Amino acid sequence: MAVQSLYGVASLLASALFGAFAPAWLVVLVADAIFGAILLAASMLNTILLIWYERKLLGRFMDRRGAMHVGYAGLLQNFADGLKLFRKNTYPPREADVLGFYSGPTAYLVSSLVIFGVLPISTGWDNGSLPLSLLLALVIFSFAPLFIFVSAWSSNNKYSLMGGMRSAAQMIAYEVPILIAVVAVIVLSGSFDLTTIVAEQRNYWFWAPLFLALVVFVAGMLAEMERIPFDLPEAEAELVEGWNTEYGGMLFAFFMLADYLRALIGSILIVLLFLGGWTLPSYVPSALTNFPLAGIVWFMVKTYLVFGLFVWVRASLPRVRTDQLLRVGWMRMVPLSLLSVFLAALVVVSRCLPVIGCVPGMGR
Amino acid sequence: MATDELNQRIQQRFPDRGITVEPFEGLAGRVLFPPAAALELFRFLRDDRSFHHLSFVAGVDWKSEREVVYALWSDTERDYLLLSTRVDASDPHLESATSVWPSANWHEREAWEMVGIRFDHHPDLRHLLMPDGYEFHPLLRSFKLHEPEELEVKVRHV
Amino acid sequence: MSEMWINMGPQHPMTHGLWNLRVRIEGEIILDADPEMGYLHRGIEKISEDRHYNEIITLMDRTCYVAGIAWEHLYIQAAEQALHVTPPERAEYIRVLTEEMQRLASHIMWYAAFVQDLGLMSPFLYGMRDRDLLLDIFQSFTGGRLTYEYMRVGGVRNDLPPGTTAQVRQTMDWLMDRFVEYDRLCLGSDIFRRRCDDIGVLKANDCVTYGVTGPMLRAAGVARDLRKDRPYAVYDQLEFDVARADSADVTGRYLVRLQEMRQSVRILRQVVDWLDGHPGPVMAEHVPRWLGAPYAPIGREGYLVKRSYPKGLGFSAIEEPHGEAAAYVVNEGGEHPYRVKFRSPVFVNLSAVKKYLVGYRVADIPPILGSVDVCVGEVDR
Repeated sequence: MAVQSLYGVASLLASALFGAFAPAWLVVLVADAIFGAILLAASMLNTILLIWYERKLLGRFMDRRGAMHVGYAGLLQNFADGLKLFRKNTYPPREADVLGFYSGPTAYLVSSLVIFGVLPISTGWDNGSLPLSLLLALVIFSFAPLFIFVSAWSSNNKYSLMGGMRSAAQMIAYEVPILIAVVAVIVLSGSFDLTTIVAEQRNYWFWAPLFLALVVFVAGMLAEMERIPFDLPEAEAELVEGWNTEYGGMLFAFFMLADYLRALIGSILIVLLFLGGWTLPSYVPSALTNFPLAGIVWFMVKTYLVFGLFVWVRASLPRVRTDQLLRVGWMRMVPLSLLSVFLAALVVVSRCLPVIGCVPGMGR
Repeated sequence: MATDELNQRIQQRFPDRGITVEPFEGLAGRVLFPPAAALELFRFLRDDRSFHHLSFVAGVDWKSEREVVYALWSDTERDYLLLSTRVDASDPHLESATSVWPSANWHEREAWEMVGIRFDHHPDLRHLLMPDGYEFHPLLRSFKLHEPEELEVKVRHV
Repeated sequence: MSEMWINMGPQHPMTHGLWNLRVRIEGEIILDADPEMGYLHRGIEKISEDRHYNEIITLMDRTCYVAGIAWEHLYIQAAEQALHVTPPERAEYIRVLTEEMQRLASHIMWYAAFVQDLGLMSPFLYGMRDRDLLLDIFQSFTGGRLTYEYMRVGGVRNDLPPGTTAQVRQTMDWLMDRFVEYDRLCLGSDIFRRRCDDIGVLKANDCVTYGVTGPMLRAAGVARDLRKDRPYAVYDQLEFDVARADSADVTGRYLVRLQEMRQSVRILRQVVDWLDGHPGPVMAEHVPRWLGAPYAPIGREGYLVKRSYPKGLGFSAIEEPHGEAAAYVVNEGGEHPYRVKFRSPVFVNLSAVKKYLVGYRVADIPPILGSVDVCVGEVDR
C-alpha cells in the first residue's frame, strides 16, 4: 500500500504497533502522537538547517565563510551551539515574576510549533481535515506578541520592558495589513483551506494578480518575524536584545528557535499563498516533477529561496526606527492592503488578469 | 611679533595688575597672571582677542603652589595661547572659567579631582574620573605610585 | 510609560568602551542625559611622571586604542619641544605617513562600528577587512598592529623596509574603490538617510561654545583643521582640502569622515612619493641616550638622574582622527617629565552630550553617539 500522506505513515505505524490488541480509539491516539513527533522532529531539523543556511548565506554576503568547522561545512555547528545552550543555567532576575519568566518563552516556542500541524507541504501530506487551516495558522501566529510581552514584563528589566512594548506595538500594527492582504488571497481562491488555495494556483500563481498583496505580506512578515530591518524590539545597539535581555541558556534557545520557526512559517506561508506551493508551472518539463516526493522537494526549494531573500535584506538594510516603522505600518501598509483586496475583487469579477489575459477557470 | 602685540594690548588694558606675557616657541605666547585677574583676563581674551576656543585646563602641582594652565585657540589668529596662574597650596582655589568658556566644565572637574584646585562658582564640581567620595588627589606629587623604599635612588651626576 | 532613568552602560553595545550614559526618558523621548566616566581610567598622566620620556610612548598607544600612532605623534612633538630635540625631515614624513594611515584605519573602524549600530552588519565586516590591509602595512615596519611603539624622541625607531611604499600605493587604490561602495551602501539607502538626517544636531555656535572639535565641528560648517590652520610636522608641504559639511547632523559627520578618508589617501600618495625620492636618517644625531629604555640597573643604585639637562616646556596639538588633541609636557630637568597633560578631543565632545541628545529618541542614541566616535580610552586616559 502506497502511503500518500504523513498522517498515513503515522496511522500505519500505529496500527502495526498496537492494531492487534488495542481498541481503535487508542490506535488513533497513538497515530496522532506519532504524527506530532514526526512533525516536531521535521520542523526542528528544518529550523536548524535554516539557521545554518542563514549563517552561510550571510557569511557570503559579508565576504566571509560562515560556520565551517563543526561537521561538513559547519552543518553540525548549530547542534553544538544548541548543546552548549542546553548545558547552561538560566538565572531569573531576583525581582522577576518566575511564572511569567519561564512560561513566556515556552508558550512562544510551543505556539510557533503548533502551526506546523496545519501547514500542508505537498499533496496529501497534511492531515486533510481543516477547512479553515489558513485562518487557524494566522490566529496562532498572532499569539506571539502576548507571550513576548509576558516574558518582557516579567523580566523586570527596563530594556526588556521597552523591547516588549515595541514588539507588541509593531506586531499589532503589522497584523492588520497582513490579514487584509490574506483576504485578497481568499477572495481570489475562494477558500480558507491552504490545500485548496494551492490547488487554485494550478493555472497561474497568485503573485501576479496580487503583487501588491505580496509586497504587503512580505513586509508584514518581516515585521512579524522581527528581522532586520524591522528588528527594533531586539535592537542590539540600544536595547541590548530587547525583550530577551535577561534570558540565557535554554530559555534563550527557545526564543531563538521560535524566531527561526516563525521565519520558516512566514516563508512557507508566502510560498503557499503566492508562489504556487508545491506545484510547478505546466510548461516545466514533466521530468522535473515526476519523481518521488517531487512536491516536497520543490516546496522546500521555494521556501529556502524565499528565506534567502530575507537574508539578503538583512545583509543590506539598516534598522528603521519605531515611529517610522509604525507610521509605515498604519499609513502605508493598511491602505495598500485594502487596495489589493479591491484589485483581487476586480480580478474575480472580470475573470481577467491585467497582463496574462483571460484564463479559463479564473475566479469563481 | 604676535607676542609683543598681545603684551602691549594686555598692558594697556590691565596696567599694573602683574600680568606678563612671555614668548613660547610655536605659540602666540604664555601669559602669566595672578589668580585675582582671572575672569577679567578671560573675558578680554575671548571678546577682544577672539580666543573663543578653550582647549584644556591643566593643574600642575609645584608642592608649595599649584599652577593652572589654560590653552586657548583663536580661529582668526590661528594660534594657541597658554595662560598660567599660580595659587597657594594651602588653600588652592580659583574663579571658574565656565562662565566664559562652558567647555571648561569637565576640564575643571578633572583638575579639581586630580590636583585639588577648587574652582569657585563652578556649576557642577563633582568627581569625573574617580569614584564618588574618593579622598585623594592623584596627580599631586605627594601621591606616590611606589612604596617609599622602592623610590629611594642614589643620585649621581654624570 | 512614565519618566524613568536608564543606565546605558558601563557594559552596553552602544557605548563602544566602558562608560555609563544615564538618560532620563519618557516613552522613547530623551529628556536628560548625564554621562559617567572613569571606568577606563588608568592614570596615564600619573604613570608618565614615573617613566622615561621614551617609555611613555607605550602608554600613548593605549590611550586611544584605535588611533595609537596619532597619540604617539602628539606626545613626541611636545616631548621634543620640551627636550629641545629636532627630528630629521624624513622622520617627519614617516610620522605623517603613519598618522594618516592611522586616520584611515580609525575612520574605517568608525564606519564599521557606526553602521553596525544602525543594525547593518555587512559594513562592519567590510570595514574590518579593509582596515586589516592598513594594519598589515603597520605591522611590516612597526611590528605591531594596534600598539606600535614606533616613534622615538628625535625621530622614529627604524626606517621603512623596501616595498612599503609600493604596498601603500596598492592599498590606497583598493581603498578608493571601497569608499565608493561604502557610500552606495549607506547614502544610497533610504532607511539610512531617514535614520541619520536631522539627528543629533549641534550647530556651529554650540560647537565652539562647548569646545567640540574634529569631524563634529567640521560637519557644522566650520573648516577648522589643525593640519591646515597650524601646520605641524610637514603638513604645510602637502596638498589636501579640509572636509566640511553644513548639515551639522549625523549624516554630515558621515560625509565629513568619508571625505577625510579620501583626503588622507591623497596625502599618503604625496608622502610615499616624497619618501621614495629622499632617503636619509630617521633619527636626530644628538639625542640624550637616557631618554630611551633605561640602563640596566646596577645593583641597588637604580637609575641615573640627570639634573643638569636644560629645563623646558612642550606644547603640541594635532588633528587626531577624533578632533583636536593637545599635549603639554613640563620638563624639570629630571629623567622623567614633571607633568604631562593630554587634551582628548572625545573628552570634550562627550561633555556636550546633553546638547545633542536631549529631545531625540532612544533609538537615535546609537547613531548619534556613533557619529561622535567615542573612544573611551582617550577620554579617561
